[in-house]
Amino acid sequence: MKKSIILSLSLALGFAASAQKLSTRNAEVSFFSETPVENIAATNKQVSSILNLENGEFAFLVPIKAFLFEKALMQEHFNENYMESGQFPTAKFTGKIAEYKGLDLKKDGSYKLKLVGTMTMHGVSNEFKQNVMVNIKDGKLHLESDFIILASDYDIEIPAAKEDNISNSLEVKVNATYE
Amino acid sequence: MPPMSKLYFLLILALSLNLSAQDDLLAELEATSLPDTEYAFATWKGTKVVNLQTNEMPGEGVLQYTILHRFGAFNQDFVYNFFGLDNAQVRLTLDYSPKEWLNLGLGHTGFRKTYDAFAKYRLFRQSKGEKTMPVSITGFSSVYYENQKYNDGIVRNTNVRLSFVNELIIARKFTPNISAQIVPTLIHYNLVETPNDNNTVFALGLAARYKITKMHAITIEYVPQFNPNSYQLPTVTGEAPSTENFSNALSIGIDIETGGHVFQLFVTNAQGVAEPYVFAQNTGSWLEGDLHFGFNISRVFTIKKNK
Repeated sequence: MKKSIILSLSLALGFAASAQKLSTRNAEVSFFSETPVENIAATNKQVSSILNLENGEFAFLVPIKAFLFEKALMQEHFNENYMESGQFPTAKFTGKIAEYKGLDLKKDGSYKLKLVGTMTMHGVSNEFKQNVMVNIKDGKLHLESDFIILASDYDIEIPAAKEDNISNSLEVKVNATYE
Repeated sequence: MPPMSKLYFLLILALSLNLSAQDDLLAELEATSLPDTEYAFATWKGTKVVNLQTNEMPGEGVLQYTILHRFGAFNQDFVYNFFGLDNAQVRLTLDYSPKEWLNLGLGHTGFRKTYDAFAKYRLFRQSKGEKTMPVSITGFSSVYYENQKYNDGIVRNTNVRLSFVNELIIARKFTPNISAQIVPTLIHYNLVETPNDNNTVFALGLAARYKITKMHAITIEYVPQFNPNSYQLPTVTGEAPSTENFSNALSIGIDIETGGHVFQLFVTNAQGVAEPYVFAQNTGSWLEGDLHFGFNISRVFTIKKNK
């Protein structure tokens, strides 16, 4: 009896230790819209993310209102007219590294990995596949990715009068250092 | 706890640790990293409804220029006056927000050649979450100097040319499309027409908006006075002079937002444009057809950029 308790205790502890998670609360996500008339850029430094080293699972949480623009009014319109962040306050990603074989934090190195999962934004979920660069240095994991998002894929409507100012195709950059 | 149940407890604990699905990762993030307090924003499109202020003000470091027009009344030779354009009243303002919560401005109104200075200051913001506040409360204070020349030989010093308006704007964004506000308003004239007139008039502004599209909203505004002053009607020969109370301002309009501009087009019974003339010295009546088409146009310039 006593043995089995010790066994299950050690099992539990074993799981707890192997469920090694890395996380960050100040990952950066920025986006850029380019048209001949106007360039629009915004950066969000309050993105949180978590990574389970055991199975390669990832999650990102992006508070929409934390995107900062150069112009206050632009920021208001982004939230009020496009992202409707009162109703949809966050963008989310959940997924995993495809064909995950484990990452060793003790070994420095760079890896190109494929992230697959689901991105949810403005109340719309889409399948998401993207290459990410992972750098491990001094026991810290750094992730970088660039990709294009189409506003129309997420039912973000750009009125005809604004089409010259706002691009449907948005260049997104992600930068995260996990601890 | 008997040993057996302790064992089960540990087993369950072990299993639950193993069940770390992706959604649990997300739940973990949501539990720890979302902001505790969420503030309402964009309760109104503009800094004014029509004649009343809203709780909105330009962002920190933003300069705003507004042009306000009130055309001649529909019942005053409307077509002859080129649809009221020839006898329009104009007001121009320039304001700047040195702080996120403070806006300072200057204005000029054609009616009685009035110059004014105003300040708008945010006291409370509507929020939910850890800090819950059902309404946004914003103050507005302004002083007006009437520079009109008179040829009646009466000397009017600076003191008697001044008037003051204070508004306390209590606003709530009920849904993304519906906002409303009540605005206790105090209008003070250093000089009034007769000794019987009130130097200070109290009014309660009421306003609401409904967004019909993301860029368009319908607005309505009514400013009833509690102790209105009266004015003398033009005397008809053979009849005793009669007086009438100043009217309450009632306006209905539409807001159109186009990026850096907000266009507000409306119909109102008040032509004086500046607050002291609109709220408590308004002779226009909806019932008698003293209606004025008008517009407010704003343009913002970002002087100090975020970062």
